[in-house]
Amino acid sequence: MTDRHLDQLIDRDRVDPSPGMRESATVVAPATIESAGATLAAASAAGATVRFWGGGTHQGYGHVTKADVVMSTERLTKVVDWQADDLTIVVEAGLPVAELEVLLEDRNQSAVLPELPGSATVGGVVAAGVSGYRRLRYGPTRDRILESVLVTGDGRVTTAGGRVVKNVTGYDIPRLVTGSLGSLGLIAQVCLKLWPMPKRAATIVVEDAAAATRVAYRPLAVLELPDRSAVFVAGSEDEIAAQTRDLGGTEQEGLAWPELPSGEWTGTMRVPPASTLEAVGRVRAAGLTFVAAHGVGEIHLAAGSSSAASFGELRSWAEAQGGSFVVTGRPADDGLFDPWGSPPPSLTLQRRVKAAFDPAGIANPGILPGGI
Amino acid sequence: MSLVDDLVAALGADRVKAHPLELRVYDKDAGVARGPVAAVALPESTAEVVACVKAARTWGVPIVARGAGTGLAGGAVPTEPALIVALTRMNTIHEVDLENRTAWVGPGVINLDLSAHTTPMGFHYAPDPSSQSVCTIGGNVGTNAGGPHCLAEGTTVAHILAVEMVTVDGEIVELGGPAPDPIGLDLRAVVVGSEGTMGLVTRVLVKLTPNAPDVRTLLLAYPTIEGAAETVSQTIAAGIIPAALEIMDRPMVQAVENFVHAGYPTESAAVLLAEVTGHPAAVTAEAGQIERIALQAGTTEVRSAVDAAERDLLWLGRKSAFGAVAQSAPDYYLHDTVVPRTRLVETMTRLYEIADRFEISMLNVFHAGDGNLHPLVAFDGRDEGARERVMEAAEEMVRVSLEVGGSLSGEHGIGLEKRDLMADVFSPIDLDAQARLRDAFDPDGALNPGKILPHGSRCYDFGMQPPLSQEPAL
Ligand SMILES: Cc1cc2nc3c(=O)[nH]c(=O)nc-3n(C[C@H](O)[C@H](O)[C@H](O)COP(=O)(O)OP(=O)(O)OC[C@H]3O[C@@H](n4cnc5c(N)ncnc54)[C@H](O)[C@@H]3O)c2cc1C
Repeated sequence: MTDRHLDQLIDRDRVDPSPGMRESATVVAPATIESAGATLAAASAAGATVRFWGGGTHQGYGHVTKADVVMSTERLTKVVDWQADDLTIVVEAGLPVAELEVLLEDRNQSAVLPELPGSATVGGVVAAGVSGYRRLRYGPTRDRILESVLVTGDGRVTTAGGRVVKNVTGYDIPRLVTGSLGSLGLIAQVCLKLWPMPKRAATIVVEDAAAATRVAYRPLAVLELPDRSAVFVAGSEDEIAAQTRDLGGTEQEGLAWPELPSGEWTGTMRVPPASTLEAVGRVRAAGLTFVAAHGVGEIHLAAGSSSAASFGELRSWAEAQGGSFVVTGRPADDGLFDPWGSPPPSLTLQRRVKAAFDPAGIANPGILPGGI
Repeated sequence: MSLVDDLVAALGADRVKAHPLELRVYDKDAGVARGPVAAVALPESTAEVVACVKAARTWGVPIVARGAGTGLAGGAVPTEPALIVALTRMNTIHEVDLENRTAWVGPGVINLDLSAHTTPMGFHYAPDPSSQSVCTIGGNVGTNAGGPHCLAEGTTVAHILAVEMVTVDGEIVELGGPAPDPIGLDLRAVVVGSEGTMGLVTRVLVKLTPNAPDVRTLLLAYPTIEGAAETVSQTIAAGIIPAALEIMDRPMVQAVENFVHAGYPTESAAVLLAEVTGHPAAVTAEAGQIERIALQAGTTEVRSAVDAAERDLLWLGRKSAFGAVAQSAPDYYLHDTVVPRTRLVETMTRLYEIADRFEISMLNVFHAGDGNLHPLVAFDGRDEGARERVMEAAEEMVRVSLEVGGSLSGEHGIGLEKRDLMADVFSPIDLDAQARLRDAFDPDGALNPGKILPHGSRCYDFGMQPPLSQEPAL
């Protein structure tokens, strides 16, 4: 295959860059999964690097990578198959999370993806491997990806998993692609396991989030912010009343999810759940804004340029607890601070797995820890 | 020198088996196939596992990890003369961390022993395969085991935070970690369920689940199996995910009742066990909702257990099912497929039709809430042609499950048993992708060769072009 072939494919699918993409970027938006396959095959043959683009909300994740072509999922937005009575749905990657959740609300169902998704797409959330606040109750996003269609770096359209809620047929590639950040190829379609949503939900304001975590029964989330803490619960009228009583807090109807902190620098610290309390102490001492998820061990934070200096120390501490500190957003001119920190001990295997799916190394090369 | 000499030097003679009579014990699991065993090693530490792997590699002998050998898909049965590394002696619960609700355990720890150890502390290990009193955590990781209570809690993979694994090169690597979302590719998720083809798991960090503050168990009896299946479909459709939803049909109920005398209604066509757990303020209402759905679906009897003793009695029959069958038939063949829960009723009808046509005796006990079917065929292998007839019916049953949009296996795994059916589910491109993933862990195919993927899955071996999808016209 020649570069001319790649150029033809690019011309076929070319779209204007959307805000956030660099002006000069060559952007393609394949209309079908097969077209994406053809373009990736040609890019692999030509050695052209490709970055994938969903809603653009997580483009700050990972190492800064250079891409010859940006592949957008904006034309892959179909709802392929919703089996409401089986609690599963198959959607293409470019479907915005917000649209999906509005659709599911009709039947009181949810894919339990991040609660305030902005312009994020399903594929982007799966690729970034991020979960919403409700993971305390429903588990991480990863555990709800039943089937994946991955277009590998060299253009093979590969399906794995299946459209049933329990399955051990073949290797668990759906969970592997979750959080792969486009390093294996384009996540083009997924089947999601859905959860029924209780009719009533409430936010119970409490004094002490750590204590509330021990008392609350299966809450959706227990969140601590610099100036307030709350337990988020759902269930029957009776259950919510009982939980409010148990917690000794004040109940507000509905779920008032806080926005993730924003600032010049943003990051997420992840530690074993019981270390959340100490993490919050350290983050407060550093003067950062934060949302801490008790019981989970996830602390989202933000800083201006002056307080970002504390990131290094927080990272060392988090890593010493067996966790991590990932920088998710930083000033464009800063290429010095490693976004991931110490790479995982399985780097050799990670490299080999990447190569199994992307032999030419053109899919978001270098984005993962260790520059994989 | 020989493989056995090397193993004896590393482990001592008493933990290496090489006598043909001793090898017989390790040449099958709880399924039907047998395989050739070169030697058996019983390591007691990760370092000894490394020594076993290195010895086997030196002598060019493939390696098969083995737990309790209760697998039903032939996962632990070698396809060529292999070193069996049995991890049952690595059965120490190393560390329980109640603050973080986790425990580091050896792969040889028996599933139920772990829950028995932590229940007094207020926690249990949620995945509860029916074989839990004998199967190992390492084997559960190998197969991504499920169980009645995986409906609400998820299967094994949702309860494994990290594994320590010995690679095919004899290196020790830790995948995953105690904090959420460890950075990098999630190789832990791939190793869980990989049936010993990616490494030997030597330590496991499991999640512990708090014991539920309130539990209500219902036994619902029906004049038709369809009524029970309908209750399951309608419960899920109504947005209720109970802790467990298990169905037994009449032949199974009768077999169980003869065996344990738990007082099950033997005249009904089917029994549904529904368990609801949760906040005391919610459990009664949810149980009531299920009862209403059941009445609409034609249930003729509702029993409700409120205390532990009553609950244990209701579960006794379910948990004794396999023992009951083993007692009443010389041989049995147990299936494991999954169908969408909306197709349960029609699938059951078709399974009975197949059983009738082949004139085989089929009993059902299954994880209905997940759509996970376990038709069990009892037979006598000494009868002329019985085994062949059972296998032929089995294949039809699998095909029916696939036809309605289901999958080959929900929890027992692919192993040897369903390896050659993989091509009915996946395209050559899909299988090739799985083969490449496996090769990333084990390029020489030394770990449990011949499992999961059918021969010829690796197209790329033969210098073939990556099989491209139809390229749209320009
Ligand atoms: C009566 C009965 C009821 C059952 N009920 C259920 C059920 O409800 N749900 C369910 O899921 N299963 C069930 N099973 C099947 C079986 O018990 C499970 O598959 C179990 O997980 C196997 O554990 P084991 O220790 O016996 O593993 P084995 O059978 O010894 O091995 C299983 C697989 O895991 C691999 N393996 C074992 N240990 C390791 C290790 N340390 N590292 C890497 N790979 C390893 C083996 O190579 C093999 O491929 C049942 C079986 C029986 C006989």
